Amino acid sequence: MKRRWIIAASTTALYVALIAVIWVTGTEQAHEKTEAQLDYAILDFRDTVGGAIDTMLDYVAKTAIRRLGKAQPRSLEEMSELAKALDIDEINVVDRTGHIIASNDPTCPGVDMAKKAETLPFLALTNGVTPSVSQPFRKHAYATARRKYLGVAFLGGDGFVQVGLDERHLSKMLPSILGCIFDEWLLGKTGFFLCADLATDRLISNPSRHRDEASTLAETGFNAEAAKAYEIQTHRDVGRTFRQRLFGEVCYCRNFVFGGHRFIPALPQREYYDTRMVFVTVFGVVLFIVLTAFGFFVDRIFLDSDRLKAFYAAEEERRAKDLLLAKTIQNAALPGATPESQYFQLAAAMIAAKEVGGDFYDYFPLGPTHYAFLIADVSGKGITAALYMMTAKAVLKDSFLDLRDPAAALTRLNEELCKNNPASMFLTAWAGMLNLETGTVTFANAGHNPPVFLPAPGSGDDIKFLNAKSGPAIAFMENVSYVPRTITLAPGDSLFLYTDGVTEAMDQKNVLFGEERLADTLREIRSSRMTKPSSAINVARAAVAAFSEGTPQADDITILSIKYLAPPRVVTRSFPCVREAIADATAYLDETLAAAGCPAAVHTKLDIILDEITSNIVNHSGASGFEIDVAFVDNPSAVRLTFTDDGAPYNPLAHIDPDITLSAEERPIGGLGILMVKRMSDAVEYSRVRSRNVLTILKKYPASGEQT
Amino acid sequence: MNITVKTNDSMAVISLEGRLDTVSSPDLEAVLEKMPENVNSIEFDFARLDYVSSAGLRVLLSTQKKFKQVGGHMSIANICPTVQEVFDITGFTDILSIA
Repeated sequence: MKRRWIIAASTTALYVALIAVIWVTGTEQAHEKTEAQLDYAILDFRDTVGGAIDTMLDYVAKTAIRRLGKAQPRSLEEMSELAKALDIDEINVVDRTGHIIASNDPTCPGVDMAKKAETLPFLALTNGVTPSVSQPFRKHAYATARRKYLGVAFLGGDGFVQVGLDERHLSKMLPSILGCIFDEWLLGKTGFFLCADLATDRLISNPSRHRDEASTLAETGFNAEAAKAYEIQTHRDVGRTFRQRLFGEVCYCRNFVFGGHRFIPALPQREYYDTRMVFVTVFGVVLFIVLTAFGFFVDRIFLDSDRLKAFYAAEEERRAKDLLLAKTIQNAALPGATPESQYFQLAAAMIAAKEVGGDFYDYFPLGPTHYAFLIADVSGKGITAALYMMTAKAVLKDSFLDLRDPAAALTRLNEELCKNNPASMFLTAWAGMLNLETGTVTFANAGHNPPVFLPAPGSGDDIKFLNAKSGPAIAFMENVSYVPRTITLAPGDSLFLYTDGVTEAMDQKNVLFGEERLADTLREIRSSRMTKPSSAINVARAAVAAFSEGTPQADDITILSIKYLAPPRVVTRSFPCVREAIADATAYLDETLAAAGCPAAVHTKLDIILDEITSNIVNHSGASGFEIDVAFVDNPSAVRLTFTDDGAPYNPLAHIDPDITLSAEERPIGGLGILMVKRMSDAVEYSRVRSRNVLTILKKYPASGEQT
Repeated sequence: MNITVKTNDSMAVISLEGRLDTVSSPDLEAVLEKMPENVNSIEFDFARLDYVSSAGLRVLLSTQKKFKQVGGHMSIANICPTVQEVFDITGFTDILSIA
């Protein structure tokens, strides 16, 4: 609704703006036309009046020629009389050599007209061809008023007569010259020409339709004072337009003075400005219709675009839901917490792309002696890939658990997926199985990126890709038998599994991360002793992330790493719950630690720990006996002591630590033993299992180079 | 654990060798019981002591209290890092006089 108002408002604004433009344009046009009309009126006047005066002077000169007969000297009196009779200001008789031989002006006779530029043109009259020569009114040095000359030749060019007329003299003549030409002078359609005697202000011309309204210029409503600034004298100029109210209507006027008369060409304003009004009105209506239609059209377009937007939004939402669903499926399909085992360490990570890529990994025990781990990449993306992945993962795990052989499991997975594969999907997979006791990994590859063998840091070997010939991808073709292969891991050796999201990660120049960079990264991991699977994965992820920084992640990045540890050695002994047993237990521990080459610092602390715990059991538990396990774990890099007794339930960890800041006198005896156990070990755990107290202590060997 | 006692008037030097733990601390307790009445100052030499457990700490703490009551003095010399650590963990560094 709000948008409709906006459309209406902007259409209206556009309308107003266009009307304004039309108005301005119309005004300009009207103005130009008015100016052109007035200019034309003045030029027309000049021609008409100039012609009329020439005709009159021509007639006068010819009359003089008739009277004079031929060019011969005459007296001043005779000439003055002639001038008076002819009612002109100057008359000269000129011989064929251009010398004035008679004049009503005593200074003229003897003047050679050929010697003055302004009189030279008249000599054309002596060529026997030119009948007359006319000059416009102009200022002369010897006359006070602007004077016009016209010459007419005697027959055969035998001298000529030149007559001169002062402009001021015209005032008398103009009424008769002009007669009533102004009365019906057309100026535009409704314009008119006013002409008034300067001295009397009496109108000598008056448009016929206003004839009875005024006899003087003042009576027409003309304001001489206001028009003064626009008054022009010379015919060279057309003057400037001004507005005055004449005969009751506003007119555009010019004001010029000539021959003792004032001439006012006047064009009523409405002549053109009314046209403008009509123009604007018609245009306005048309524009209104067009713009209204336009407004509806725009509204319609927005409505359509709204519908489109809604459609795309729904589509986008659907896609987002699909993405979320696919991600949920993918995440749900991944196994839970990484396993804790004394035999190996395993970690895995998947960084899903925006659109799920269908990667997955899995790991699970195959009975007490073997452990399965696998990685796979389903072709395609999104929900289809995610669903396909679910099926593949379930079938593969089932087959693996059932057949306890990676090659057979992949073979069965291929059979199952080939049976019904309408979407022509496929997946690459690598499946392995670790023998916990021997470290041997049996594996099979179905078209997957070769995992990397990462020997224990410090061993002489280099890393290597498990490049043994791979079988085809799963669901590519039927009747495939995958071939099992083996590699044996020594304690500390790792396998690094990944999907093509790692090797095909691209930098900004579209360069692939590639196997070489992966190999370099793994070498670095190895040389910096970061081969613990969780650390190795973090380093590799960081390397890929740094490489592909600034580019969107195109595919899932999935990594699984497994590190084989030496199988733990566990020594167990039982003791009766008597004081003497403490010394026996200490001896047993010393013996066992010494045999295992346990570092002295660790040894001493374990002695203290054992002393504290066994004395607690003997003195307080009421048990019939107790058992001590000594296990060397993590390759070995730690000792795990497990104390089991059948005494009263007692969790030493539930005790609050004693206040060790008290003075000797305030100190209660006791409680310090458990505090020492906690502080001297790396981990203490208590559990009550089958009516027994089980206390487990982990003590790590100091890191190499570290002094304890 | 071997315990060597050297007495000089009211002053006794007790050297311990081995481990002062649950098994051996009763031995030390017995030795201290047998101390002549005039001995009011004891110096423990821990130079050859491997470690002390809480049972040993108990003996040391009660001996210190006893001597303080009679205006005597007890000190410990030549402690190894392990024993130092035990003393640190338990706060004994502050309540024993360690040379």
